[in-house]
Amino acid sequence: MGVTILLSYPVPENKTGPQTAELLIKRIGALGAVQSGQFLVDCETFSSGPTMGGPPRTVHVLHNSEQPAAVFALLESPGPPPKTVPLVADGLFDLLMLKMSSIYASKKQTRMEARGTRFEIADFLVKIGTVTMSSNFKGVLVEVEYRPCFIAGNCWELMREFMQSFLGSVVQNTPPPYFQVHNRLNDVYQPLDTIQQYLDHFASYRKVAGL
Amino acid sequence: MSAYSVNISVEAPVENQIQEITYDGQEIYTPPLTMSEHLTKLAQKIDFAKCGPEELNKEITEIDKNEDEAEQSTAPPLWPWDSVRNKLRNALTEVSVLADVLSIAKEKHYMVLDPVPQEPPELKPMVQVYARKKALAGAASVLLSGADRLKNLQAEALRNRTTPDFHIELLRLRQNFRLKKVSNSIVGDLSYRTAGSKFAQNGTFEVTKAEEDGDSPLSPPCSPNASLSNKPTSALRVTVPSELQGVAFIKVFFQKDQDSLTAAQLNLPSSSTANAIPDMYWQPKLEAAQNVLFCKELFNQLAKDAVQLQSPIPHIVVGNQIIASVLPGIQLVIGLCHSGVSTDGKTAVVPPSSNGHDHVLEHSLHQLLRELHHKNTHHPFPHPSSGPIGPSKRRRLAGPCAVDREELMQMTQSETMLEQVIKQAQHINLRDRTLFVLDRLAKDIKDPLITSHWNALNSPTQSCVKINIVAHMYDTICRTSLLIHVNETTLKCITRDGRVIHMSYESQELRDFIMCQVYLHQMTAVQNLAKCMGWQCLANSAQLGVGAVEPFGNASSCVLASPTGERLISVRCEPKSGVHVTIAQSPRKDFFPGQLVKERKWENLGGSFKEVRWDKMEGKNFLNKMELLMASLTSS
Repeated sequence: MGVTILLSYPVPENKTGPQTAELLIKRIGALGAVQSGQFLVDCETFSSGPTMGGPPRTVHVLHNSEQPAAVFALLESPGPPPKTVPLVADGLFDLLMLKMSSIYASKKQTRMEARGTRFEIADFLVKIGTVTMSSNFKGVLVEVEYRPCFIAGNCWELMREFMQSFLGSVVQNTPPPYFQVHNRLNDVYQPLDTIQQYLDHFASYRKVAGL
Repeated sequence: MSAYSVNISVEAPVENQIQEITYDGQEIYTPPLTMSEHLTKLAQKIDFAKCGPEELNKEITEIDKNEDEAEQSTAPPLWPWDSVRNKLRNALTEVSVLADVLSIAKEKHYMVLDPVPQEPPELKPMVQVYARKKALAGAASVLLSGADRLKNLQAEALRNRTTPDFHIELLRLRQNFRLKKVSNSIVGDLSYRTAGSKFAQNGTFEVTKAEEDGDSPLSPPCSPNASLSNKPTSALRVTVPSELQGVAFIKVFFQKDQDSLTAAQLNLPSSSTANAIPDMYWQPKLEAAQNVLFCKELFNQLAKDAVQLQSPIPHIVVGNQIIASVLPGIQLVIGLCHSGVSTDGKTAVVPPSSNGHDHVLEHSLHQLLRELHHKNTHHPFPHPSSGPIGPSKRRRLAGPCAVDREELMQMTQSETMLEQVIKQAQHINLRDRTLFVLDRLAKDIKDPLITSHWNALNSPTQSCVKINIVAHMYDTICRTSLLIHVNETTLKCITRDGRVIHMSYESQELRDFIMCQVYLHQMTAVQNLAKCMGWQCLANSAQLGVGAVEPFGNASSCVLASPTGERLISVRCEPKSGVHVTIAQSPRKDFFPGQLVKERKWENLGGSFKEVRWDKMEGKNFLNKMELLMASLTSS
């Protein structure tokens, strides 16, 4: 599992989302990328009913096609202090959530998906995907993974240069906000970090009303 | 409604009895009974007198019978429930009487039950004694007859010790094999099903009583020496299915590439020792049959793998042989040799390579099949125990550890038995080759000594060897070590300075590499020796770019200066043509001032290098010669 940076690519005014994705695909193809399948990251949200007592808690259940055997779950409890508890579990966790439908009810409208193609260039893995929330287009997400390294701080410069080559000035010169807290730049990178980045982006997309 | 449906109507059959058929054919049915009439009819069938204990009701039934008869003699009752009512009334009477008796016995308020004193019976002690004596005698006689019978049986068994009892033999057989009684025959199972085999072939054998041999009672009196007969007879005979009879074994051997495949023998013939005695003792017979089944299963599995596997040179399955190519030019032949008991009348033909078969690989094959059986029965247990049985521990942990797709793919790949055997065969081959090369080199090269130490513990697909290159008597000066990992088709060599070199199975590569190492050793040794002798190393180069191009490796050289600086030695090591040593002197001996160079001081620039005739040099080996050369140049 290499270091993965997730970027939201702003859709220009005169273009639609799929067109933007096509454009990016053309650019990465020009660099010599080889297409190697599709990818899918989806997120389903469950919120606790009144039977639990206290302020309502939410559980986000995410799946990533890169780790097909795993299910990621993040529990956000707002009670002071607000904390997020992450969990990596086997595929049976989905069935467990189904059994708990009386306690944790799923909000089907807020199901978010990032779907697209994955490309391989040398040591990099690039995924260009469109984010949809119950078939409404929300945005374009670009995920870049540098496979050999698993400490973000060591390869941030290299990744920034690579990303700027095909994404342009959208890429900032400072690391993304996810990496700037808790000394994450010097920690070993886990698949859970990718999922948390996805969750942050999905949350920001949810706040944007209607598109 | 589909077009194919058919309407079916269901009617109950006509049940009412026909009362009358009129002249015009019309049937008049008796009207069906109403509900009350039906109930009456059923109630009349109940005989209340028949339920209850017989002693109490015996008299009542008699009375009832009389009553019934009386009733039947009169006209049929006006009211159909009359008999029922009477019977119930009688029952009520009886029950009330019983209730009264019970209340008297229990409550003792107004009436008590008082026993009537009776005369005690006469006691006749003698009669009692006689009665008891008779009874005891009867019991004793039963016991004695039983004991007599057992004594007779034991005496008989002691006498007839030579013919063992059928049941004792059966007991011993049962301790080793599973037996079952099917209708009136005893059937046993010698397959590996309980151990995890999934082979379809049946392994049942039948157990029967052996017929009495006519001449066995005669032989002991005639020849007392032959009381121990050559053929051990047993009381039971075991019949093994015809396809499992005889002796079988798997034969594995290597063969060099043959031009035509028709040269391969179709039937690896049997060994000549299988002259089976029909009345053989059952244990070896059953064991042989079990072995035949095992070998058949093994060969079956290998043949299946051979057909399914895709390999650059396809595997050939011919008759009872599987031919797989291990390395270009070398093939592995796995054959199933089965000698049946049925007498063919053909003499056994000795195969050409009967002495070259590989016991280690045969044992490996047996182990691999046993491993397969073991995996079929022993499933890894899940933690928590409510988890699914089936996935291995790694697969179960794949979820919580968020394992990649590539790793998951790797988990699903497993090796077939044939692949594993081929890998082992390749490794054996490569190891033998490496051994041969190293031994040859050690024999050929006398100057630095090459020793190889092979690891005692190896795996079936990897061995390691450590090679030391030392000069005799100068092992403290310099020693070059190499570690070679021998894998299935490649060699990996790790040198002391950390270089890792991957070589293929060609033995020439290893040979060239070791030669290069030898000359590098010489060069390092010379420099170390120079340090010991006080000589200074002016320059050295491990990969020299001057001079003729070498066919393999590079030339290396070094220049040494004596302690006083007057003498220089230059050594050049070439892997192909050996070592060249040249010496020079610093103040030139042959300096003559000429037109251009006039002054004396220019003699200090040093003379030209002159080659030393190394074969004429004194010394046991190269380093020895170098030492003597340095010593002589220092002193003169």
